[in-house]
Amino acid sequence: MKLPKKLSGTKSFKTFMEPIWGENPISIQMLGICSALAVTVQMKTALVMGLSMTFVVSFSSMIISFMRKIIPRNIRIIVELSVIATLVILIDEFLRAFYYDISKQLSVFVGLIITNCIVLGRAEAFALSNSPRLAFIDGLGNGAGYGLVLVTVACIRELLGSGKLFGFRIVPEAFYAAGYEDAGFMLLAPAAFIIIGLLVWLQKSITGD
Amino acid sequence: MSEYMKSLLFAGILCIVCSSLLTAAASGLKKIQQENLLTDQRKNILKSAGLIEKDKNYTANEINRMFNESIRYVHIDENGQLIDTKKKVSKIDGKDLPVYLYQKKEGEIEAYIIPINTRGLWGEILGYLAIKNDGKTISGFTVYKHSETPGLGGEIEQHWFQSNFVGKKITGPTGEFVSISVAKGKADDTVSIDKRENYVDGISGATLTGKFLSRGIKEVLSGYEPVSVIFRKKLQFCKTNPNTPWCKK
Repeated sequence: MKLPKKLSGTKSFKTFMEPIWGENPISIQMLGICSALAVTVQMKTALVMGLSMTFVVSFSSMIISFMRKIIPRNIRIIVELSVIATLVILIDEFLRAFYYDISKQLSVFVGLIITNCIVLGRAEAFALSNSPRLAFIDGLGNGAGYGLVLVTVACIRELLGSGKLFGFRIVPEAFYAAGYEDAGFMLLAPAAFIIIGLLVWLQKSITGD
Repeated sequence: MSEYMKSLLFAGILCIVCSSLLTAAASGLKKIQQENLLTDQRKNILKSAGLIEKDKNYTANEINRMFNESIRYVHIDENGQLIDTKKKVSKIDGKDLPVYLYQKKEGEIEAYIIPINTRGLWGEILGYLAIKNDGKTISGFTVYKHSETPGLGGEIEQHWFQSNFVGKKITGPTGEFVSISVAKGKADDTVSIDKRENYVDGISGATLTGKFLSRGIKEVLSGYEPVSVIFRKKLQFCKTNPNTPWCKK
């Protein structure tokens, strides 16, 4: 993809792209693995989880960056966590009111965004020392990077594990009639571990790291 | 102002802002959430009675209309008599069995729906089990709340698992109560042929969920035996109690 040099050269663009590829929170920094194992059985849950995460990490980074000059240093982790927890509970309430079915499927995992190290990590490492605008973009990038890995893993798992994508049957019934069976292993958490491992390998061999 | 005071003040203000935000969201959305919950329960009751088509989306209004048309909620005591819930006399001894009756306009009762409340592997499992008016044959099973592992025990909310229950029996060949259990693996492979009517296919990787579910359903169903017996022996029962709702023609 060729982008005009003006755009691709800006600091915001770099801030956004860095966590998607070069500094991807899951495949490079190895953060947030736990939720990546749990919600990637189906595409739909992975996508909603990615979006929720993007919302939380971008807005929490922005809010924390706004307050960065007045947050007392000795209680900054507590402050960061309260901001994050508030946002997570807000999105959980929102999903329960307007997307009841999806919130039922995600169950506890939305709440567990609070404990996701990516969010706190970005607040500590980036938001505290950058402008709100950059912090917001950094959050967007990290959420997107996280969501991208989630969706990729979920795509593989749902397709091989239940022959579907987004709940729609992809593998035709004729295959099953001919003796094809879904790989039940793909539905188990270890499968996600292995897939993430393979993705990391793939990425590292592409970048030649 | 000392450094400590500043921290305290900051923390205090932050707490107030965060908690008022959360309170506003929780109380503002509470009504919608509770409506969602109620609609979801009603949808599951209708689903267990076989009134919901699998791949169709229903609006909340449709669900409520269908529910009001064909489902009746009653409390029954162990003798098969209706408990008048308006009289606020709580029965201390004796049972109070809440049951949903599936009844088309003034017609015969087609099925009765029992609320299932059992332990699962990680938390409680809530659902409904509908039994046809012969008091033996299951006409549907649904789960509307559980905390089993998604993809493993969580499969209990899937159509393939729940549709297994349809047509199975809660009684043995001689009509005695046996309950319905989840087999370990496919029922056809693991259960002897004379017992297959009382087993549904299990979920691979979720043996424990199946075990808890079987045990829980058995407990609930044996509690509801007085109701099931009425349906099984309707003729006899109606001779002595002609005025109960299931005897009116």
